[in-house]
Amino acid sequence: MAILRQLARSPATSCLREQLFWSPRRHAALTRRAMASADPQTTRLDFLVIGGGSGGLAGARRASELGASAAVIESHRLGGTCRANHVPSQVMWNAAVHAEYLHDHSDYGFEVESVRFSWEALKAKRDAYISHLNRIYRNNLDKAKVQNIQGHARFTNDPEPTVEVDGRKYTAPHILIATGGQPTVLSDADIPGGNLGITSDGFFELETLPKRTVIVGAGYIAVEMAGILSTLGSKTSMIIRQSGVLRNFDSFLSTNCTKELQNSGVDLWKNSQVTSVRKTEKGLEVTVVTKDQEKKNDEEKTSTIQEVDCLLWAIGRQPNTSGLNVAAMGLEMDERGHIVVDEFQNTSRPGIYAVGDVCGKALLTPVAIAAGRKLAHRLFEDKNDSKLDYSCIPTVVFSHPPIGTVGLTEEEAIRSRGKENVKVYKTSFTPMYHAITSRKSQCIMKLVCEGKEEKVVGLHMQGLGCDEMLQGFAVAIKMGATKADFDKTVAIHPTSSEEFVTMR
Amino acid sequence: MALSLIPPLTDGPISYQAIYQPAQTGSFHNNNMAALCRGRHRWKRTNCLHVLTRNLSGIYDYDLVVIGGGSGGLACSKEAARLGQKAAVLDYVEPSVKGTKWGLGGTCVNVGCIPKKLMHQAALLGTAVKDARKYGWQISGPICHDWATMAEAIQNHVRSLNWGHRVQLQDKKVKYLNVKGSLVDEHTVRGLTKAGKEMILTAKNIVIATGGRPNYPIGIPGAKEHGITSDDIFWLKKEMVLSSTRRGSDVALECAGFLTGIGLDTTVMVRSIALRGFDQQMAGLITDYMATYGTKFLWKSVPKSVDKLSSGALQVTWTDTRTGDEHKDTYDSVLWAVGRAPETKALGLDQLGVRLKKETGKILLGSDESTSVPNIFAFGDIGEGRPELTPTAVKAGKLLARRLAGLSAELMNYDNVPTTVFTPLEYACVGLSEEDAEERHGKDGIEVYHAFYKPLEFIVAERDASQCYLKVVCARGGEQKILGLHFTGPNAGEVAQGFAMGFQCGATYSHLLQTVGIHPTCAEEVVKVNITKRSGLDPAVTGC
Repeated sequence: MAILRQLARSPATSCLREQLFWSPRRHAALTRRAMASADPQTTRLDFLVIGGGSGGLAGARRASELGASAAVIESHRLGGTCRANHVPSQVMWNAAVHAEYLHDHSDYGFEVESVRFSWEALKAKRDAYISHLNRIYRNNLDKAKVQNIQGHARFTNDPEPTVEVDGRKYTAPHILIATGGQPTVLSDADIPGGNLGITSDGFFELETLPKRTVIVGAGYIAVEMAGILSTLGSKTSMIIRQSGVLRNFDSFLSTNCTKELQNSGVDLWKNSQVTSVRKTEKGLEVTVVTKDQEKKNDEEKTSTIQEVDCLLWAIGRQPNTSGLNVAAMGLEMDERGHIVVDEFQNTSRPGIYAVGDVCGKALLTPVAIAAGRKLAHRLFEDKNDSKLDYSCIPTVVFSHPPIGTVGLTEEEAIRSRGKENVKVYKTSFTPMYHAITSRKSQCIMKLVCEGKEEKVVGLHMQGLGCDEMLQGFAVAIKMGATKADFDKTVAIHPTSSEEFVTMR
Repeated sequence: MALSLIPPLTDGPISYQAIYQPAQTGSFHNNNMAALCRGRHRWKRTNCLHVLTRNLSGIYDYDLVVIGGGSGGLACSKEAARLGQKAAVLDYVEPSVKGTKWGLGGTCVNVGCIPKKLMHQAALLGTAVKDARKYGWQISGPICHDWATMAEAIQNHVRSLNWGHRVQLQDKKVKYLNVKGSLVDEHTVRGLTKAGKEMILTAKNIVIATGGRPNYPIGIPGAKEHGITSDDIFWLKKEMVLSSTRRGSDVALECAGFLTGIGLDTTVMVRSIALRGFDQQMAGLITDYMATYGTKFLWKSVPKSVDKLSSGALQVTWTDTRTGDEHKDTYDSVLWAVGRAPETKALGLDQLGVRLKKETGKILLGSDESTSVPNIFAFGDIGEGRPELTPTAVKAGKLLARRLAGLSAELMNYDNVPTTVFTPLEYACVGLSEEDAEERHGKDGIEVYHAFYKPLEFIVAERDASQCYLKVVCARGGEQKILGLHFTGPNAGEVAQGFAMGFQCGATYSHLLQTVGIHPTCAEEVVKVNITKRSGLDPAVTGC
């Protein structure tokens, strides 16, 4: 380990690495200057991570395990969005799943008397768990000997990349930006009364279950929130701009999920947009304009939804870079403010890297974790080709029932490979769980195959248990599995997932 | 299929034959090589010959007659018909000792996988109600379970499946005969109806897929008179209170699990070890979980007798083999789960010279499912060394039909068979147990990655997750090819199917590492696993 650390620190190797981006002359000049201006007050580390979310923590821990001195700067609580949103979201989803089970109990022979849901009880439990997670994160950092620096990070104008937190300066040859993102907030300038609404962050702070909810957006967060609130008993309306939700998913899923939302009692407003929000004595009044873009002759219809006690904007996320002074570093950014990185997570400035939501690509916790770890291996273990492969990243949406998807949609496959080279297998069935329940929900599955050998390039499903089914198939698809490999695999009976290996 | 569309079937015993029961994975025995070669050679010869003779003379009633309408027999006959063969399937249910009878579809549909999983599901819902309270659901009053409601719903579903199978046979033009079949010669089957009427069918090829039935123990007074088996439990109209199951097989544990789950006081008596043939570390976790769940275990105990008391209760006497002490206790029901025996007696195999394995009574088979007599084939639970599992029987049956139709030479691959056990904490696995891997590759030849993880759904529910565990047994060194994968936790079967496919494709440990996890799920723990047993480090998973 000591040798590795030596290697990682030695100017020769770092020079070699940086030559890829910098002219050696400029590098030498800068190094000289940096040395000259070395401030004794500045704390020097091997690896400095800005942002204590999943990606940052994973990167720092792995770097430390590989022998680097590492620190994580976090202004809030450790764990980032995953802790703040994904985990509580899954907890809420589970609570909603119980609501569905309770419907089915009598079919399975249970007599359950009156049932009422207590949001307060669940919230208390959930929050206790989240603070428990925080302690775990801190312990993990301590165990991994990663320094935890509390406060806001800001890049200084020093010639050597330096970060200032509460007046103290830190520097490292490798600085990782993993500040994540936050839900997009609408201001009054965008839509009058826009700031009367909350975002997914606010959702987890709600003290009571709203009686009447309006959710704006058609992405996965909107779908998850709508499913949870509606199932727990809030009358929920969803405002979407087009005719279906999850428009960037395979149309098979998009159509089915839209149908499932409606079946579960969500009041879906298609082709609609919120134009204004007003506060009244009885709650919010949300004005909605509806117009089917395809029917040119139709009049625009304006309606209002009254007595709304929770308006939730789920219209996207934006990167967290404010206050960071990234301008001082001259990093390349895209038009939406994401930090541009290459496949090795390098920003446009050597020695500065970014992972996770701040890069705007595949906004998923495990992606950030994997990218952070891969980077640590590249920097501190000299594994020069260590990088995350962004293709075939499996994704689950905790809708009701859940969605699992990996690889290309049918549309994408046809676009890139041509219709004649794409073959699709589909099935839908009633899962055995629902064989004896009066509440029914279908399970749908689809394989997108490519070429003569029928390489499976996409797998899409929605139904009971799909959240847990996907992972193993993701491994096989990543390995390049063909339809014939699916056929060769012996089924596990009786499960839903066996339908994938018995498809015709 | 909607339940309301299904007309009830006639009351009589309609059909029988069986395929089922989670496997003794790792206990497959290879048939000897000679039989294998002989079988394949014969297939080529006889097949060509008979295609010729039939085309010239059409001397047989059918191309294929299948005896046994379980999962395998149905799949085989339907596939044959699909390929243009004239096929018939004979099915007949001999009532159980207790008089339980059922319809077409065999063990899996009637007295195996399907009703078992539905009862398991009922038990999970029992746990879910308890969890629901922790999730903020306020449920007033006690929660009761009514066996009759559940049993009726499940039995109706099973009847709908029986009906569905009959419709499918009709649609696919397979002749269905509710008769008891036996062999006359290698081209002739005798059928006997319930009324005792005899019929003779001739066929180019005959396939035996009659499966097996549960055993009763021998030499235990009262065992048969007072005990039931898995053939009966799913068809009981009234609930059994305080039951006792015997021997730690997968059937025993699954039954005990769902009985406990719906609130019945259940005891399992185990002679030696639980889940023989499965990875024993996993077996230990499963029984530990069940013990905390409320199932009682009597380890290392051998039953001696069962007596009916005047109160109607059953008094079981047993010996604790560790101390030699004798114990007695009373139960309402006694369920025997002491293994299964092949259904070969009525087939007349000995007259034809079909060779059986003496110890098990199962038919000795070549890798092409051929028996020692030309034109007679067998597969499924009745085959020696074959896994007692529905999907393997279905697959083997289809492949056999294709070969017999002369359209393929592909053999069934009995390796890499994944399986799952629906105990309260579900278990699924594919490939070798750690013991078997160690035996084949040596202790230094394997690397075991493992993790104790905590399912998110357990945390809020404050459920003990100390048995939620997974391990990936890999070859040591090089690419670290995966030799076996084991998982306990919610939805284990659903988790394992995809990994079984990766396993089939030759997955290595690095393939797991290269795959991004799906957060937050239990399945992601498999691709995150990074602690080796050899390292001695704490395998508990923490954080995101």
